[in-house]
Amino acid sequence: MRKLVVYNTLGFPNPSDFTAFIDGVRKAGADVLEVGLPPRYAKYDGPVIRRSHEIVAKFGDLSGNLGEVARRAEIPVVILTYLEDHIDHLDQFLDSLKKLNVEGVLFPDLLIDFTQQIDLVVSKVRAHGLKNVLFTSPSVPDSFIKRTGEITDMFLYYGVRPTTGVPIPVDVGALIRRVRNMVRSELVVGFGLSGDKDIVSALRAGADGIAVGTAVISELEKEGVTEGLKLVSYYRGVIDGV
Amino acid sequence: MKRGSIRFKMGWNYRGIGASFAPMELDPREIVPQFWYNIIPDLPRPLPPPRDPPSAEFSRIDLLRDIMPEEVLRQQFTVERFVKIPEEVRERYINIGRPTPLLRAKKLEEKLGTPAKIYFKYEGATPTGSHKINAAIPQAYYAHNEGVPAVTTETGAGQWGTAVALSASMFGLRSSVFMVKVSYQQKPMRKTIMNLYGADVYPSPTELTEAGKRALARDPNHPGSLGVAMSEAVEYALKQRLKYLVGSVLDVVLLYQSVVGLETAQQLELIGEEPDVLIGCVGGGSNFGGFAFPFLGHGSKAKLIAVGPSEVPKFSSGKYEYDFPDEAGLLPMIKMLTLGRDYVPPPIYAGGLRYHGVAPSLSLLMQEGKVNWREYGEDEIFVAAKLFSEAQGIVPAPESAHAVKAVIDEAKSAQRNSERKTIVFNLSGHGLLDLSNYESMMKRFGG
Ligand SMILES: Cc1ncc(COP(=O)(O)O)c(C=O)c1O
Repeated sequence: MRKLVVYNTLGFPNPSDFTAFIDGVRKAGADVLEVGLPPRYAKYDGPVIRRSHEIVAKFGDLSGNLGEVARRAEIPVVILTYLEDHIDHLDQFLDSLKKLNVEGVLFPDLLIDFTQQIDLVVSKVRAHGLKNVLFTSPSVPDSFIKRTGEITDMFLYYGVRPTTGVPIPVDVGALIRRVRNMVRSELVVGFGLSGDKDIVSALRAGADGIAVGTAVISELEKEGVTEGLKLVSYYRGVIDGV
Repeated sequence: MKRGSIRFKMGWNYRGIGASFAPMELDPREIVPQFWYNIIPDLPRPLPPPRDPPSAEFSRIDLLRDIMPEEVLRQQFTVERFVKIPEEVRERYINIGRPTPLLRAKKLEEKLGTPAKIYFKYEGATPTGSHKINAAIPQAYYAHNEGVPAVTTETGAGQWGTAVALSASMFGLRSSVFMVKVSYQQKPMRKTIMNLYGADVYPSPTELTEAGKRALARDPNHPGSLGVAMSEAVEYALKQRLKYLVGSVLDVVLLYQSVVGLETAQQLELIGEEPDVLIGCVGGGSNFGGFAFPFLGHGSKAKLIAVGPSEVPKFSSGKYEYDFPDEAGLLPMIKMLTLGRDYVPPPIYAGGLRYHGVAPSLSLLMQEGKVNWREYGEDEIFVAAKLFSEAQGIVPAPESAHAVKAVIDEAKSAQRNSERKTIVFNLSGHGLLDLSNYESMMKRFGG
């Protein structure tokens, strides 16, 4: 079965609605919950997700809430956070995630900004009992795409647009076919993927799953939790229909 | 292509009385490639993508959707090693005289007494006089396909503006060009040729845009710079709802320029040559990247040398960091070798090299030591340009003369070490519309 990975920013749109969202996300059809920690610099995030970071900042430090996320979601939880914010105290950070029963961790800046440290970081993640979700993008050369396909633990996350939620015209099918031929790992495609057409082309081109974020955040912000979860169910339907 | 597949063709041309017999010629379709080549999949490490700045009040990446033709944007972000050249674009390439000639600079070799063989790809043999037309044609074509009525751009020396003016008229588009003020004053004929092709030309900084007004407020005698002119064109495109055509720096422009290197590789193969050294000048990096990257992609062991002016010392003093390609910061930040977006280059005569940054892929390759660099001052450039003009008859564009200077140095070192190497360089443009600049250099540096 194809995977549906659902992103939400920790504590969005507010701590209690966030809890309600994770309570319902499995039933709505998600296979993996990706939780974003607001970074100092959201390098690869578009306006919608950046705004979600600002909104949750109002609620102060929410890291305490992470404890119940894995328990309540009942599906694997992957933490999305920029390595830049943790590189100086990486062991401590990974240790704290492990204690919270988090399954995996995704650093979108690992390949680009920490090219020399990829192997080191990947082995640290494993040493702390966590799984790596490697993030790759179209501007990554073939040699690195092959390597990431070999070292990722849960699946390879392929962000097809330069930033989340901005519908830059790209040929999703062509981008995925290039990577599909190089990796054997499970391939989950995201970043600015939201329209049904994108999702269908992604799956037809060989993606094993899709990740949605911006569209869900928008719905949560405008319509609330019930509608947010309905959108997740809708995506489940689109994926299963292909 | 294999050597055996060269097709010779006899051109028959009936003209009233009899047949005129054209010399045996090579079919251009054998040389002009069917695909552009993209280096990104073959880079030694991941290319840092364009980014929005930390606390952005708007998304610059999103803004690209308003200013660039959709297909150009798609090609910028859909990374594939080979991209099909639309048949109509390929036909235009052939119509303007592609493939451009690959010539041997035999008389220059003799003058230098070097054992090295020197070849050059002559991009000056296009109607607009430089390689710039290679990137302008596809962008105008895509804009036209998308129903866009008019396009705008900036130009330094006038080469890019001229290419845009012609390409726009090829596809029935209106065009406007923001031309760096010093060049506008130094080169009135560039303006004339752009006007002749139907473009409106404005000396930048202008009062037409906020970016222009800000520059003039800082300095009423602002000489202009590519960065400011670029900001003006982008802002103008936004306000007037036109499309902006990109002249250099972005990866997609280097993709379009790969036609230069792909042809060169083909032409060298036909004469059985392998390059040992590949040389080109760098403004934003498009002629260099277009010329050299296809060789790199084929695993060529040739030494690559990028040449810039010592007056704009981005190779020696630039920092490798995220910066804006334009002075106003309307475009997304890209990671590149840069002197800073607010750097105002001195008014040297190679207007096309007065730019603060270097294309991201070329910057990365320079950081990785895969591409070497040289910087030369205007006085040295003048001597090289004069020597080349006397030896070969072609007056190089002052930008291209930077490459010529590096070629001469390489040829001399080959002589010292008795090396029979093959040096190939990109003569990115001719200098026949830069004669007033040469006049001034002659006065300053002696005839
Ligand atoms: C003849 C010529 N060569 C080189 C350049 C430098 O630009 P680029 O590095 O993009 O090729 C220019 C720019 O105007 C030019 O006109």
